[in-house]
Amino acid sequence: MATASLAGTAATEVLRPTSEAEAVEAFGDGDGVLVVGGGTIVVPDLTYRRLRPAKALLLKDAGLSGIENEGGRVTIGAATPLAALVDLPAPIGPCAANIGDREIRGVATVGGNLCAGEGYEAPRGDLQGPFLAVGATVRSAGAGGIEEEPLESFLERRRSRLALSISFQTPAAGAFAALDRPHTHDYTALAVSGARGADGTIRLAATGVGWWGVRLPSAEAAADDPEAAGRAALEDVDPQDDALASAWYRRKVLPVLVRTVLTELEGVA
Amino acid sequence: MNIVVNGTAHAIESGPLTPLLDVLREELEITGPKAGCHQGGCGACTVLVDGEPRRSCLLPVAYADGAEITTVEGLGTPESLAPIQQAFVHHYAAQCGFCTSGMLLAAQAYLDGGGTDDPEAIQEALGGHVCRCTGYAKIVDAVAAAARGESFDLTQTAVGKYTTVTTGGAT
Amino acid sequence: MKVVGARIPRYDGVAHVTGRTTYVDDVRVPGMLWAKALRSPHHHAAITKLDTRPAAELPGVHAVITWEDVPLLEYGHLSALGIPADEPLLAKDDVRYKGQPIALVAAESEELAAEAVERIEIEFEERPALLDVRQAFDPEAPKIHQWGNWYPHFEGGMDRRQIRKGDVAKAFEQADVIVQGVYRPAAIEHAPLETQVCLVVPEPNGRLTIYSCTQALYFSLGVVAAHLQVPLNKLKIVGGTTGGGFGGKVDTATETMTSLLAMKAGRPVKWRWTREEEFLCSSTRAPWHMEIADAVTKDGWILGRKMLTLHDSGAYARFSPYGLTKHSFHHTGAYTIPNLEFDGYVVFTNRVPTTAMRGFGVTSVSFAVETHMSRIADVLDLDPYEIRLRNANRIGDTSPNGIVYTDPSTVPTIQAIAEATGHELSAEFRTMTNEPRTGEWLPEHLVAQLGNPEEH
Repeated sequence: MATASLAGTAATEVLRPTSEAEAVEAFGDGDGVLVVGGGTIVVPDLTYRRLRPAKALLLKDAGLSGIENEGGRVTIGAATPLAALVDLPAPIGPCAANIGDREIRGVATVGGNLCAGEGYEAPRGDLQGPFLAVGATVRSAGAGGIEEEPLESFLERRRSRLALSISFQTPAAGAFAALDRPHTHDYTALAVSGARGADGTIRLAATGVGWWGVRLPSAEAAADDPEAAGRAALEDVDPQDDALASAWYRRKVLPVLVRTVLTELEGVA
Repeated sequence: MNIVVNGTAHAIESGPLTPLLDVLREELEITGPKAGCHQGGCGACTVLVDGEPRRSCLLPVAYADGAEITTVEGLGTPESLAPIQQAFVHHYAAQCGFCTSGMLLAAQAYLDGGGTDDPEAIQEALGGHVCRCTGYAKIVDAVAAAARGESFDLTQTAVGKYTTVTTGGAT
Repeated sequence: MKVVGARIPRYDGVAHVTGRTTYVDDVRVPGMLWAKALRSPHHHAAITKLDTRPAAELPGVHAVITWEDVPLLEYGHLSALGIPADEPLLAKDDVRYKGQPIALVAAESEELAAEAVERIEIEFEERPALLDVRQAFDPEAPKIHQWGNWYPHFEGGMDRRQIRKGDVAKAFEQADVIVQGVYRPAAIEHAPLETQVCLVVPEPNGRLTIYSCTQALYFSLGVVAAHLQVPLNKLKIVGGTTGGGFGGKVDTATETMTSLLAMKAGRPVKWRWTREEEFLCSSTRAPWHMEIADAVTKDGWILGRKMLTLHDSGAYARFSPYGLTKHSFHHTGAYTIPNLEFDGYVVFTNRVPTTAMRGFGVTSVSFAVETHMSRIADVLDLDPYEIRLRNANRIGDTSPNGIVYTDPSTVPTIQAIAEATGHELSAEFRTMTNEPRTGEWLPEHLVAQLGNPEEH
């Protein structure tokens, strides 16, 4: 067949596990393995020959999709499409609804979004913010077997891990605020997520101020005063210039979004 | 791997990571879906996969294994246009035509899901689709008309020498 | 009137909505090869080594072309109008913009062609790049073009498009206020949804059939024939179906190189650009730099205008001298200014060559002129509609290039805009017409510019 496909994948071994155990085994220590969740991020990289993996691990049939809620403890499979998250409480639901369009949300996965990082024209891991705000933990496989850890530490080593699921306790209140996207297919330039736990503790996180979602500890410490918290948030970040916005602009807008989120959290009993 | 496209079953030879778009266009020579960007940014390649609108340039064909695919060729023929196709013709919603097949399938999915003629809802449903001729107003008008169930006798809209243009059995 | 106001079905409407319209990339022919290009990774560099043999030796590769394969390497887009050529079809000694094509490969698949391109051995010696038109005239600026940093071949060997009308020095002496502005619209990529694409089929009778997305079929015919040094009757171009162009498909971007590949391979060859190539390597609308200084009276008459335009041509001339000429003719916009001093330069930079886009050369100056009119109104604290009407073109007025207006539409257009936006005009402006100037509409400074519309 005289294929005209641009895909640089002729030499790639494709693995299609049909269970979590098979996926974990196929992933091994992750060396040379490209994990394909929904494919929305990596397929263009294959098409344009930026990625030429030795192995590709297709997660669609690995049984890693689904959402469970046990007494407010929510667990989401890594291969769950974003469309399934839009009805979850804030800040997660509103954030998921703000990603891509119907067609992207229908295939892009939670795991892919958590692992989306540096190397693109702009940050892409929008869900890292809300999941940091709700104090989520990630269950993942790789060298040393299956482990569960806070999202913060998972993000540090996510290249060597296969995300299996993410869990969090439903917060007492949550809020999400993002810069409007000019078009549905644009990435979000800056977003802030906030959540108040059952004990009244407020956690804040931002995406778009670096390649990864980050907590905003200085803003959290000043959470009683939204204005002060907005200013304090600037101490927690070192924003960058990229295709979507300048660092200058992000520093101008971050306090506004922090204030918006905290004000909204105050309004929720 | 096997896929059904517009009711016809095909065994697929392309590798499992090959985007569905390339399988359709290059292996099966079904050229209605267009490669506008090959990276998910324009929507010209959108097809229905088991009824859901999908960017075929982003979908490894392995993820469509066993699925039923609808391309613009399966929506309606020149002799028997689907209502959304009639509406696009009537409202001049196709200019250069390159975005049209993707627009039509996203619109069909919107209508299949009970979409109304609310312009904001239509814009949300088609928001990922780029028309660089910037004919958006006419496209939204066409989808709204189809959502209202309007039908068009396309043979009755012309005058003068252009009446010789045949629009088939569209009613 | 059989057509105006009637509903006319598009002749291609039904084909568009049923997926039956055949764009170039939809054309399938047996035995087709695929092309990929080696492009410059640098803005400006000398080519110190080019060896395509490793690509040609790859099994499945059927042709590789470089500048050596082109019968007439340099043919300008406006050569037929006597404007000399400056751009090689494929880079020879140097590259002058990022993305400039250097060599092309035709192979059994696009993937194989891309692999072959990666095997081409090439070395560069980078040179300083010029990316800002404002620096082109500095003595220390990098020298980037064989003609110098700006186009020197206007009529009479002039290095600029120049307009002189009336007595500008006197106008500036008489002015109450001088209003200045600088206007710099940026480059714009046409971004048609269909990227550049063509398919060339060598026919048994020795002709080439060229399926092209061009907007300018007969233009492409001439350009391809010139580079190939073949008579026109050896080429059959199939066009007319374009997935968006907006001016970006006027340049003959793909047809000539693909023809050379098809001739060398003796097989049909298709070359379709990726979206990234379209954005990074295809021509754009130019960025422009425009400086305006107007001599104005306190009641809003514009007595004279001095204007400097730097038109960023990119690395080569292409259509830019033509675009600048149109620009110069329109540099007073829809208004009459009797005393003019316009100087416009086509400046070379190490950007992609720039080209036509929807009102070539005119959109830039319209943006500058209209913004400047509002600026004058701001400075003088006058009504922005009324200052436009005061200076509006009237029957018998003359354009910068001496054309006498016989039916100018400025007055009714501005009046209609005022009505549509609910803007109250005073009686004298509400009732004025575009009839020839008399009375208070013909102040002394406008008398000398009048022409006789009856002569046109």
